[in-house]
Amino acid sequence: MVQSNGAHGESDATEPDTTIQEGAASGASTDASLNARVKQPDSGHHKPVIWMIAALVVVALIACIAIVNSRSRKTATPTQSDSIAIGIKLAPVSLDIRNQSGSALEQLLIGNVYEALVSRNSNNEVEPGLAKSWTISDDGLTYTFKLNEHMNFSNGDTLDATDVAWSINQLKAKQYYNSDQVENLKQASAPDATTVKLTLSQPDANMLWYLSGRPGLVFDKDAHYDAKTTAVGSGPYLVKSFDSSSKLVLQANPNYWGSAHKARTNTVTVRFLPDDNAALNALTSGDVQVLSPVNANMTGKLKSSGKYTVKATEGSDKFVLAFNCTGAKTSDKRVRQAIRYAINHKEIIASRGGVDAALGGPIPSVDPGYEDLTGLYPYNPAKAKSLMRQAGYSTNHPLKLTLTYANVYGSELGEQLRSQLSRIGIDLNVNTVEFSTWLQDVHTNGDYDLSLVDHAESHDFYKWTQPDYYYHYDNPQVQALYAKALAATDDEDSASYLKQAARIVSEDAPADWLFAYRVSVAQVKGVTGFPSRLSQSVLPLWKVAYTPAKA
Amino acid sequence: MRYLIRRLIWFAVALLGLSLLVFAALRILPGDVASVMAGTNATPARIAAIRSRMGLDRSYPQQYADWLGGLLHGNMGVSAISGRTVASQIGAHAAVTLPLIVLSLLVALGVGIPMGCQAVLAGSPRVRSVLHTIAIVGGAVPALWGGLLLIMLFGRGVGLIGILPSQGFPDAGWHAPRAALISLILPTITTGLVAGAGIMRYTRACLISMEDSDAVAMAMACGMTRRQAMLRVGLRLSAAQLVSVAGLTFAQMITGVMVVESLFNLPGLGAMLINDVGNRDLIAVQSELFLLAAFFLLLGLLVDLMHHALDPRLGEQTQHAGGEGSTHDLGIR
Repeated sequence: MVQSNGAHGESDATEPDTTIQEGAASGASTDASLNARVKQPDSGHHKPVIWMIAALVVVALIACIAIVNSRSRKTATPTQSDSIAIGIKLAPVSLDIRNQSGSALEQLLIGNVYEALVSRNSNNEVEPGLAKSWTISDDGLTYTFKLNEHMNFSNGDTLDATDVAWSINQLKAKQYYNSDQVENLKQASAPDATTVKLTLSQPDANMLWYLSGRPGLVFDKDAHYDAKTTAVGSGPYLVKSFDSSSKLVLQANPNYWGSAHKARTNTVTVRFLPDDNAALNALTSGDVQVLSPVNANMTGKLKSSGKYTVKATEGSDKFVLAFNCTGAKTSDKRVRQAIRYAINHKEIIASRGGVDAALGGPIPSVDPGYEDLTGLYPYNPAKAKSLMRQAGYSTNHPLKLTLTYANVYGSELGEQLRSQLSRIGIDLNVNTVEFSTWLQDVHTNGDYDLSLVDHAESHDFYKWTQPDYYYHYDNPQVQALYAKALAATDDEDSASYLKQAARIVSEDAPADWLFAYRVSVAQVKGVTGFPSRLSQSVLPLWKVAYTPAKA
Repeated sequence: MRYLIRRLIWFAVALLGLSLLVFAALRILPGDVASVMAGTNATPARIAAIRSRMGLDRSYPQQYADWLGGLLHGNMGVSAISGRTVASQIGAHAAVTLPLIVLSLLVALGVGIPMGCQAVLAGSPRVRSVLHTIAIVGGAVPALWGGLLLIMLFGRGVGLIGILPSQGFPDAGWHAPRAALISLILPTITTGLVAGAGIMRYTRACLISMEDSDAVAMAMACGMTRRQAMLRVGLRLSAAQLVSVAGLTFAQMITGVMVVESLFNLPGLGAMLINDVGNRDLIAVQSELFLLAAFFLLLGLLVDLMHHALDPRLGEQTQHAGGEGSTHDLGIR
């Protein structure tokens, strides 16, 4: 393209131009109209400059406002703040806790907005909740709960035994979320206003624990509201606003019936920050005071700044690398065992920041029946190779497998597994998909070789006893032991059966437990009451308070 | 008039085709909202029960007819997951995205046009080439990277001169107009500057093509200086093309700002779409996509009509040539 350079372009077109410029320089033109025009090019020349200056002034003004703004904020609030913001990673998609899946819903709503018949503490133990005490009959089939008196919902309605019985019977009738956890629960009744009686079809050692979760939640039978967008519960907090793409705002319930769990902070904002970098920015810029979880690889700067405390906390999250037990290639136990021997857990944990714990079996350390099973399949590539040889594969004749997992877990894990397994003759094709695709292909249709998912729930060993669950693991011995564990009326007996069952599951190698995810929690100094265990499933916000340091 | 009517008929046909395309494309996605609601603990029986309760087991033509019928009555449906009407959902998120786009466009035009003019008219060839380089480099900067840089410079708590918020939108939304506006400053600059570089290049190209035109020569023959002729005549004649560019930039921004929104954690349309697709909330997604695409088409229509008004010559052209494609094909996209 030819670039015409104004005055130096075609001679005939620019001739008048040059004359004018000369005239401007000397001011000698005799034509008044030409002289009048002479000044205009100059003023035109300055226009963009003026605009730029104007733009700069605007930017400077805005900056001044911002500075003044942040200064005035700094000098205020020397005492306990009446609000706190907490950043979490996964957002609940709606507030409908009776129908919608998602551990974030339980984490945020149970104990804060809705309350259950019994509650759960940060040691994963059952404590009194709406019921202040209970008795269990010797045969383990009748539970009698004594409720607290003078309880009410946030809308003012009274909460008594009829609401409790109604909620539990509705759960069974409408098959609400996790109703299958309390399959052995036959019926609930309310003999009087403060007594609730539960009848079981067979003893269930997990019953109380499950009643501290979704199945035990109590709803107002007389209230009409859209459970997806609002909530009417009996807890210390009310839902002020909810937007699953940004935040949940909770406000202290002025009508709260109890005194033990009375909210210490008036407004709690929970922000949903799926991106690790954005989450860290939100913490360092003061938009949130607590970040749970924070990426363990990003905590170095936080720790060295001295303004934050960072702690790795124990929980029930298990990163399960499941092998399809009925799959064409993974039904061979030698292959499954070889994979377990070939995985270097230490290396994986170290690359994630070194805070996660090794886990050798299906039961996490916070659950009954836990035992350190990491010794069953120690890292042993030589043994893995020989098992693969027995199964008919080698590095020259590799076994092709596909690992399907949701992209929320990042691509690093898949790549690490691919490189570790390539050493023993497995050609791993890593397929990261959207979570919904994973749900459809792996979970619902069971169509996979290897799958990776974070099973966050506590007390979820029962999945290894259901052959139609996507693990497709079917061992009658394990099923019998689990039934015994449930039927045992003594907690220790129950735990010892679970221990035996878990060991058998781990030996059969239907999966590898890559690690127990330990959530790193970062908080600004001055925050108190944030739980140091299990904060991913039990988050008692009423305890949390924030006293900013004086500026 | 005939032009207008023909244009409107094509608009309606395009909308219908669009609805079919959106509906069909979303049905290809694996997974459905029932399995998302049911989660990882669910048995297949429970998922099937949810499916039939939500009407997902009906045939596709039936679902399409229901949806289209609703659209014709102005009813975009209710999100299966959040329980909010799709209209209110779009409204709430557009309240973040649209101001961001409009402000960004203002920044883009405010920066792009003067600097584009300057890139042609500046006296010194060095200034011109520097401006030209700025336009090319500016257009090549990915918005994500530019935004990160801005956060590192100005983000409160993280930046060198940490004065501006870089995360999220104020709780009160536009009820706290100052806080809302301040939270949009960095995102606006990010998208505005990148789009501004594009507009600067088009302005420059338009003006250069005007430089040798008879109109400018005529204006100079009548006594205007070259600068005056270019700004008063050349720029005005380029206006039609610049309007097209601005219109298309606006349309592109609707999808383009999604990256920036996620960087600054703004609850805009992008976050909404990503969420709803992730949850396979197809009723919501199809209405949202349809509305966005219809907005695109509408913008195209408006730009064409404006183009027509600004440049009377086009009327003759389209009547003789029987097509308006050439007039808005500026080599964009």
